Amino acid sequence: MNPLLLCLIAPAAATLAIFFVDAKEKKTIRVIATVATGVSLAMAILMFIGFGDYSYEHAATAAEFTANAGEADEHVYKYGIATDWVEELGLSFRLGVDGMGLAMVLLTSLIIFAGVMVSYTIQSRVKEYYICLLALVTGVFGVFASLDLFFYYFFYELAVIPMFLLIGIWGSTTKTVDQYYATMKLVLLLSAGAVMALIGLIAVYGDAGTFDMVRIEEHGFSSGFQMLWFPVIFLGFAALVPMWPLHSWSPAGHASAPAAVSMLHAGVLMKLGAFGILRIACLYFPEAAAVYLPYVGILCCFNIVYGGLVAVSQRDMKLIIGYSSSSHMGYVLLGVASASLIGIEGAVFLMFAHGVMTALTFALIGWFYDQTHTRMLDDLGGMMKVMPFCGTLFIIASMASAGLPGFANFVSELMVIIGAWSSRDILWYGIPAVFAVWGLVITGVYLLRAVKDAWFGDLPERWKNLRDQRTLAEKAPYLILTGVLLLFGFWPQPMLDVVHQGAKPLVVRLDEGRATHEAARTAREGGTKAVQLPAGGAQGTALADTALAGTALADTDSTSEGSR
Amino acid sequence: MDSFFALHLVLAMKLPEGLTPNLQLLMPEFIIAGTAIAAILPELVLPAGRRATATAWTSFVGLVIAFVVIVAMGPSSEKALHVVSGDATVTGWTADSFSVFCRALTTAGGALLVLLSIPYTRRMDRGHGEYYAILLFALLGVMLVAGVSDMLSLFVCLELVTIMAYILAALRRNDVRSTEAGLKYLVVGAVSTAVLLLGIGLIYGAVGSLSFEALAGVMALGSPPAILVLGIAFVLIGLLFKVGGVPFHVWIPDVYEGAPSPVTAFLITASKFAGVVLLIRFGQAAFLPSIGATDAFDWVLILGVISVVTLLFGVLGAIPQRSIKRLLAYSSIGHAGYIIMAFAAIAAEGGPEKGTSALLYYLMAYFATSITAFGVIITVGAAAKSHGSDAYTGLGRRAPFLALAMLLALLSLAGVPPLAGFFGKFLILAAVVDKGLFVLAFIGAGAVIVSLYFYMLWIKEMYIREPVEGHAYPAIHVPGVTRVVLWIGMVAMLVMGVVMGPFYEWAHDAAHSMAALLSK
Repeated sequence: MNPLLLCLIAPAAATLAIFFVDAKEKKTIRVIATVATGVSLAMAILMFIGFGDYSYEHAATAAEFTANAGEADEHVYKYGIATDWVEELGLSFRLGVDGMGLAMVLLTSLIIFAGVMVSYTIQSRVKEYYICLLALVTGVFGVFASLDLFFYYFFYELAVIPMFLLIGIWGSTTKTVDQYYATMKLVLLLSAGAVMALIGLIAVYGDAGTFDMVRIEEHGFSSGFQMLWFPVIFLGFAALVPMWPLHSWSPAGHASAPAAVSMLHAGVLMKLGAFGILRIACLYFPEAAAVYLPYVGILCCFNIVYGGLVAVSQRDMKLIIGYSSSSHMGYVLLGVASASLIGIEGAVFLMFAHGVMTALTFALIGWFYDQTHTRMLDDLGGMMKVMPFCGTLFIIASMASAGLPGFANFVSELMVIIGAWSSRDILWYGIPAVFAVWGLVITGVYLLRAVKDAWFGDLPERWKNLRDQRTLAEKAPYLILTGVLLLFGFWPQPMLDVVHQGAKPLVVRLDEGRATHEAARTAREGGTKAVQLPAGGAQGTALADTALAGTALADTDSTSEGSR
Repeated sequence: MDSFFALHLVLAMKLPEGLTPNLQLLMPEFIIAGTAIAAILPELVLPAGRRATATAWTSFVGLVIAFVVIVAMGPSSEKALHVVSGDATVTGWTADSFSVFCRALTTAGGALLVLLSIPYTRRMDRGHGEYYAILLFALLGVMLVAGVSDMLSLFVCLELVTIMAYILAALRRNDVRSTEAGLKYLVVGAVSTAVLLLGIGLIYGAVGSLSFEALAGVMALGSPPAILVLGIAFVLIGLLFKVGGVPFHVWIPDVYEGAPSPVTAFLITASKFAGVVLLIRFGQAAFLPSIGATDAFDWVLILGVISVVTLLFGVLGAIPQRSIKRLLAYSSIGHAGYIIMAFAAIAAEGGPEKGTSALLYYLMAYFATSITAFGVIITVGAAAKSHGSDAYTGLGRRAPFLALAMLLALLSLAGVPPLAGFFGKFLILAAVVDKGLFVLAFIGAGAVIVSLYFYMLWIKEMYIREPVEGHAYPAIHVPGVTRVVLWIGMVAMLVMGVVMGPFYEWAHDAAHSMAALLSK
């Protein structure tokens, strides 16, 4: 059986199976959920190992995918599978992953496996909980694996709705956040982004005449079409990233969700947005990307700095991590905006690393929140004395988040900053890169303070009896996530190889798009200037252009030549 | 069967020359009419306690047989009651794929409605036979509507549905709200009927014939006379009353809330369906031929504006509602907005097929969803004697099965995958974008978010809020038939939402037959 399909079907089948299990059989339900997500994880690891490097040794299974293999710059999806679904509409059920998709599938399967194990502590309405959780993760897998535009959206929306019940029923209301408010806001804003993207996707379908994402990729959109629809689709997905100023649903949603949902939410759901931007907005509309992405570079500074500064002022630990997440997603956006190979690879790698790191943090907070019922830094303190395991891992996760060498986050954030800086465009990318570096300092401020206030100092009397993770089963999910962070921190190459396979063709397209755009602009300006300067050709006008545009153009040429 | 052909013969002898009755095409309708009369019989012979069940099952069997006959007969290129020569006033009744689709949907939905009515009618002390007979006649009207091809049949068939619906709405004659609902419905309905008739008169005056074909012929010439445009506008208004488009919606909330719940289910599904089917039939003749003509009247703009206003009125009006029946009434106005939006897409340049098939899929999904929702409403209403939100507090704990059915129905109404309503809305939005009506599409998509809000409030009531402590909730008994209907509804919603292929093909064929009719 196709491993990718199995990866998607396992949680879906478990959802159905749990539906028919008696609600009192909590243990059976947990076993089913664990086995199903375990199958997904195993399949994801198998695919990751078998993915091969950039040499395209492993062809896709479906015939139409193999046709593409062989040429170095072609975008190849592996583990492909395709069935016609509604023939009249050109709609088919089509799965397949490139390197970026596979990295995300691996991330999802890691986090949901850990999340299911972390959720063993949930005691009320266990059946409904796992049904919602597994339905949610089915949607997430579906988005990362879909190669059909309709099903892409189908799974995307499928992932949003279970959130409402998960946060509403099993979430927590604190002084800082009301869970009903948070869950309603989250669902409405996410759906608003989704339907906005939907209109764009339908327009893409209308122009290309098919839902098949591989074929749409080959369909050249006119530049007018690109300029009109890029912002629609981009903003739709950016609400999910969340890009400033569309971010307000996210910290509140993180803070009120139960541990496993926060893990999935911050770890995976936010990545759906960035993935959509890369997979659809940038890949289909490279010319428009050349125009709009610089503005994204500016906006993401707000994510990084504003998100970080708000996190500094928070006292609720989940809110700190929540704002920290939107701050870190700013780095992902910066990498995307840089449109350079190293920047986009860094962005995808950071999506992975941040997902694992933030899931670990939320899981740890969930562990002690179950016992203390407070996350306010003012109420906590000295917990290291009673929970050494939990505390140590929390410090490790914080260090990873602050970008300490040795963790995957360091590698990826460095790549993003280098990517932004190396575009040598000081105004649009250089300044954001400087902000990004200082963002890491802000991260250090709020995380170190959280570590100090919660884990060190005097232990209040009432926390004397807090329970640490004791058995291996309790420790396992946390150890898995920490292990992954360290593994890819010290040995990032396998992940980078996989990501490179997907990022390379994308960057080639973006370069081509930028070149086309620049050429069109030069021709336009050249046309007007030609009247004044009959002697100068296109070469002359390009030189006569402003220094800024000149460097950008030269840089574009060198990158696209270098990438071939 | 023999008597059927005898009737055929008698009619053939009595009717003028040149008429080919082809009455066998109307076999399913005869079955329903016969069943309706038969449904009164148990009332006369059986003791009071067993009347409801016996009548209901008679009706159910009749509807199922009619469904099987419709599907088995399939579409036919011939027409019933077709006048070949002479003054072509009556141009026959068509049995194309569109008509087969609509009648099959009506009988299938009608059978489920009958099953839903059983627990309700068991509690009535009298009038069981009347209820089912009237319901069947109303369904008969909806079936006949599917095949009309002239103004006269349009009016007669639509009135068959409407007059039956007046009676049904006022069924509980001792209940003030039910009586009020019936009266309001009658008054507003009568006005709309008058407007419709006036429109038909004007069209007849301008065209000189009542047939759709003749109307299409005149429209195709371009530059229609003002009186014809006025006539079409009046007919359109009359039909929009039935569908519930703003500003012709005023009767909907009160009537839907006051009528007995099974009747509301009928009004929200079959009765509205009749209006939509007629709009499609009439629209094919009235709007499409003039597309591309130089000085064509801008129907797309008018339909677009009406759809946006309807949509916004429905979804915004639903937000403060605290009674589920009223909520669904407003939500049905919102759905009428999407339906009219699909009409705007149909009337726009570039072929009606996509819009029509989207609309048919949408209606199919809406049928399954509404029937599921009303299965829950009737059951909860019977136990709690209320349709307010407090009757639904903590339903997820008290009656998990009902809550699940309601959850799926609400999500399908909101248009969330993997449920049927999602694909319906998706198709309509796709048809609208396909015609380049982007503003409509964005408003339609925005309305999804608003509607998600009030459906979510209800879901929160059922699942997130716990039952109030110390409050004595009545035990909710789910009758066996209701359970069956709810299962059918839930499975239908899921299947139509995931395996869209066969259903879409069916809707597409039906839409295609309409387009073929036009090009002839």
